[in-house]
Amino acid sequence: MVFQNTFEKIFYNALRIRLVEEKIIELFPDDKIQSPVHLSIGQEPIAVGICNNLKQEDFLFSTYRSHAYYLAKGGDLKVMFAELYGKSTGNCCGKAGSMHLTAPEVNLMGTSALVASTIPHAVGAALAAKLLNKEHIIVTVFGDGATEEGVYHESLNFAGLHQLPILFICEDNGLASYTKKEKRQNYSLIEQASLYSITTWELYEGYDLGKVDITARLAIEAVRSNRKPHFIWFNTYRYKEHVGINEDHNLPIRDTTEYNLWKSHDPLIQNTELINKFSSIIKEEIEEAVEFAENSPYPKLHDLYLGVI
Amino acid sequence: MEMSYREALYQVMNNALTDPRTIIVGQGVSDPKGIFGTTLGLVDKYPDRVIDAPLAEEGITGICIGAALNGLYPINTHMRADFSLVAANQIINLAAKYRYMFNSNFELPMMIRMVIGRSWGQGAQHSQSPQSIFSHIPGLTVVMPASSQSILDWYTWALHYNNPIIFIEHRLLYDIKFLVGEINPYPLNTTIVREGKDITIVATSIMVLEAIRAAKYLEQYGIDCEIIDLNCISHPGWGDVLNSLSKTGKLLVADTSWLPFGVAAEVSRIVCEVNPFLLKAPIVSLGMKFTTCPTAKALEDIFYPNQRDLVKAIIKLVTGKNIHSIPLPDETSMADLYKKFKGPF
Repeated sequence: MVFQNTFEKIFYNALRIRLVEEKIIELFPDDKIQSPVHLSIGQEPIAVGICNNLKQEDFLFSTYRSHAYYLAKGGDLKVMFAELYGKSTGNCCGKAGSMHLTAPEVNLMGTSALVASTIPHAVGAALAAKLLNKEHIIVTVFGDGATEEGVYHESLNFAGLHQLPILFICEDNGLASYTKKEKRQNYSLIEQASLYSITTWELYEGYDLGKVDITARLAIEAVRSNRKPHFIWFNTYRYKEHVGINEDHNLPIRDTTEYNLWKSHDPLIQNTELINKFSSIIKEEIEEAVEFAENSPYPKLHDLYLGVI
Repeated sequence: MEMSYREALYQVMNNALTDPRTIIVGQGVSDPKGIFGTTLGLVDKYPDRVIDAPLAEEGITGICIGAALNGLYPINTHMRADFSLVAANQIINLAAKYRYMFNSNFELPMMIRMVIGRSWGQGAQHSQSPQSIFSHIPGLTVVMPASSQSILDWYTWALHYNNPIIFIEHRLLYDIKFLVGEINPYPLNTTIVREGKDITIVATSIMVLEAIRAAKYLEQYGIDCEIIDLNCISHPGWGDVLNSLSKTGKLLVADTSWLPFGVAAEVSRIVCEVNPFLLKAPIVSLGMKFTTCPTAKALEDIFYPNQRDLVKAIIKLVTGKNIHSIPLPDETSMADLYKKFKGPF
């Protein structure tokens, strides 16, 4: 794919994620994807902006909400659908599914359904990078809810204490399942990260592809050059329910006005010119990937016992 | 030659660090006590790789996982096994599942060392023996060394094992000297410590030494015990247990932990599923009383099975009688004895 400029490239990548997840929504009622799906719709710019500035050798640790990161980091789309379908052609033979997506060939490391549990993995990988004099950097992405876990504090402390080449990224969508942040947090995320002598960055316009890309670039360049921990806080918005394919704006916890405001800024809704330019070619790719998954075989008894130790 | 459990641990830690990929991480690894002497002074030789840890068991275990994913061999220490339970999320939910969940796309070579405490007031939270908890989980390998040789063999082998491995050490064994030979590059899952014809005693950790003492005592009364050190608790050599049982027909299991849902229960399950007809008498098991460990010595002495309990159980199982002419050894606390105990095993 040839792009006129960087913006087109990141727009294309973000639109691709949106359309893939919309395809998942379309397929889900058929029960072919028998696994909980945590959709990133609304949050795509962060994944795309971050990964646009990462090299393949940089490690990325993400979460159960990682379709966007899988694709943005360069994971294969056919393999992803096969994995979601629980087919043997998935790169984890269907053992991982949506909540544990990974793309080892591009260093998207194993993702986990336990909130905050991969944050210390990123710190450990950064420790190894430092001790073994590796040039790559380590990035870890998590939601605002993860920052309430004890292990998050433990991870920030260790990274600050040993001055490790790591970038912490908080995607703050303000919700932990159905619980708003004001019921959960009595601290400022930025101030708290600063306490551990970690350089912080913040962006309120998490919908703005260009601004996310620039913020990510500056922070990533800083980690690369000074080999020290940095933290970015991104304000973002989750359109769908915590898990599943539906919207939940009928619930009192959600605010339709806020939703409409985000949609009015959303380039993947508003920029009809680029949407029209790229949609058909992306949809073609998606159809091929789905067909690949549909036609792939299921894993067998033999596969069940593989890889325990 | 003779080598104490502590000396063997120090030797394997020292050797492990000669590989520049090895790190030792844990609370106190570089302090003046050095994990009961087993990492003492190593920080002077390897200042970057002997890393004293913040009080953050879950985080540190997670950091070890990440370090392993990026090319290091982490050795994580817990001065008491109880602290490892703070890291259970990372051990059970992450480390154990990393290979399987991601279909062997990643390997997680790492070692977790933890020490069981006993006596001198260890109480409820410094005395637990979590072998059955961890052995219950697919993806974990659990070893309880009962001798210096087991340490030399297993810890050396573990450095080339591409999976998380948990070593549960026993504090009361640290000062005991054992005869050691060459390092066996293929460590035995399970060891026949003593051959005998009257009874099979399957034991773990310090209970292996208890069984050896009981066997020596009963020798003079004509009772011949076969003793099996289960050693690799998660993957024991069941063939050794079943072969022995086909000879003796009598089974006693002596474990360092509680009996319900534990090692004794698992040994019994295997025997009953594979060939219950090997048994000429019901299985007997010995372990901690099913209470929390009390701190008071008077209660703790009753909480742990002592030499008298073990000898009594063996005699009853072998003779089939409660009343017999064999005198029982009279001991109040095993811990008192371990202060003086010098081997020979």
